[in-house]
Amino acid sequence: MDDPPVQLDNTVEVETPEHVRFRFHVAGPTRRALAYLLDLVVRAGILLIVEIVLALATGHHLTSGRAVMSGGTLLALFILEWVYYVAFEAAWNGTSPGKRALHLRVVKAGGYPLSFMDAVLRNLLRTADFLPVGYLLGLLAMSWDGRFARLGDRAAGTMVVVEDPIRVAPAISLDPPATSAELAAFPHRVILPLPDREAIELLLRRRDLSPARREELAEVMAPLVEKRLGMRLGDPVRFLALVYYVAVGGAAKHEAGKGPA
Amino acid sequence: MNRTQDEFIAARKPAWDELDTLLAKRHLLHKLPPTSISRAAGLYRELCSDLMRARAAGYTADVIDLLDSLAARTASAMYSAPPYRWTGLRELVTGGFPSSVRRNGRFLALAALLFILPGLLGFFGALRSRGFAVQVMSEEMVTQMEKSYADLGHGRGDGADGMMASFYVYNNVGIAFRCFATGILFGLGSVFFLIYNGLTIGVVAGAVTAAGHGKNLFTFIAGHGAFELTAIVFSGAAGMAMGYALVHSGQRTRWASLRAEAPDLFRMIMGAALMLLIAAFIEGFWSPSTVLPPVKWGVAVLLHLLVLAYLLFAGRKAPGSNP
Repeated sequence: MDDPPVQLDNTVEVETPEHVRFRFHVAGPTRRALAYLLDLVVRAGILLIVEIVLALATGHHLTSGRAVMSGGTLLALFILEWVYYVAFEAAWNGTSPGKRALHLRVVKAGGYPLSFMDAVLRNLLRTADFLPVGYLLGLLAMSWDGRFARLGDRAAGTMVVVEDPIRVAPAISLDPPATSAELAAFPHRVILPLPDREAIELLLRRRDLSPARREELAEVMAPLVEKRLGMRLGDPVRFLALVYYVAVGGAAKHEAGKGPA
Repeated sequence: MNRTQDEFIAARKPAWDELDTLLAKRHLLHKLPPTSISRAAGLYRELCSDLMRARAAGYTADVIDLLDSLAARTASAMYSAPPYRWTGLRELVTGGFPSSVRRNGRFLALAALLFILPGLLGFFGALRSRGFAVQVMSEEMVTQMEKSYADLGHGRGDGADGMMASFYVYNNVGIAFRCFATGILFGLGSVFFLIYNGLTIGVVAGAVTAAGHGKNLFTFIAGHGAFELTAIVFSGAAGMAMGYALVHSGQRTRWASLRAEAPDLFRMIMGAALMLLIAAFIEGFWSPSTVLPPVKWGVAVLLHLLVLAYLLFAGRKAPGSNP
């Protein structure tokens, strides 16, 4: 893995000063549009609350149809239009309520947190990205760029990354546990070449496979392993699971566990 | 060592979880106690070798993703951007803003021309013929403008001053930001907004003067104009500087060339926004007040001199100091 090939999927590799490389998943337009819509709803909600508070404070009714907007409304509009994103992204390390909900974060292209200046630039340039209507220019710019950077992102040198919580799949376990009778059929030590072991692991780790599909894949793989070991067992899935169990040393532990009993 | 993925995870998971807990406490690492910081650094180094080992061994994507994201979060906590302090604002006001403006003097001159020439055209055009004015703005707008300046100088109704100040913040800062942001289109957006705003303001001034209320109008705008009109020109100049950085990129890529200019652009647009906030206050509370016109003119002259002196001299290094 010394020279990683150009990525086809939406990951970006970053190298730190100590030559550690790690990858970010950059967020695509759909997810970012959803976050934007969510923020829009939040902003509308804030405006509504401001209006209600103002109406209660001044004694006007919301529906009285005043011709001129009140000063408070105008200030709220200004803050929601120009300050909202800058304040949140600066204070919440590159997130806003909408971005948080969709697990998005704005970071510098090098993976570092964005500075206040970056937050200001990328959000002022929303105006340009919005042109001519509905972020069309921003969308065009995003489709042009491997990091889905809209104009504001490029000017500020930022990208939006996905931070989905990651759960590691549970360890492979033999279910039901191997019986002594089953293990007796195997040689004491099974040495599997790495590709074979990886292929079996892949099959065993995939919990989303239907039993029929699992069976089908195992039927392709089992004969190769059977030939190598010179033995066979009825059920190919069970056979492969057992082979793996023995190969990674589960059988030795099994015996050790059995010993004192 | 040829460990299986499950053995690897079982052996290393406690260390990853420990690092994860340390990061969850504060996203800024330097706020943790010293022992935790050095512990985090050690865990980070271990994590990096885990990541390389996991990749080399071809472990499944979920494990590598977990390590990637943990490494990314730790790296970002360790090399976090300098936090923006309030002293940054003081630095901006006392020197950063005016020196950035001076560095971009040629864009400022160009922006001023693009604003003033259409303004003069609009003024004299509207002064000569009402037909010219209604070509630029709608008939109702012109009539409304003429009417609104007919009886100025008597103050506004109660509470209207605060409302208008808010309106000026919303409207003018919005105009300035748009004028700047559209400069990303190789400067063209800024050019358009400068000409458009210059022309509109010129036409209003011309039409109102033609209707015989010129004295009212100029008394009104004299005070805040020092801040407001200059700030619009500054934001246009910043927009054009941004466009120019894209066009004239030198040895850099276009976007790297823009990013090299970013600190100056940032200071100019933030300075312009601050000036517009000041302008909104003056325009909301001072300009429409019932103070006698000669006093307003005197104050206006003072404010203009103040702004000019600030932009020319603030933030210059003392002659003896190192550059």
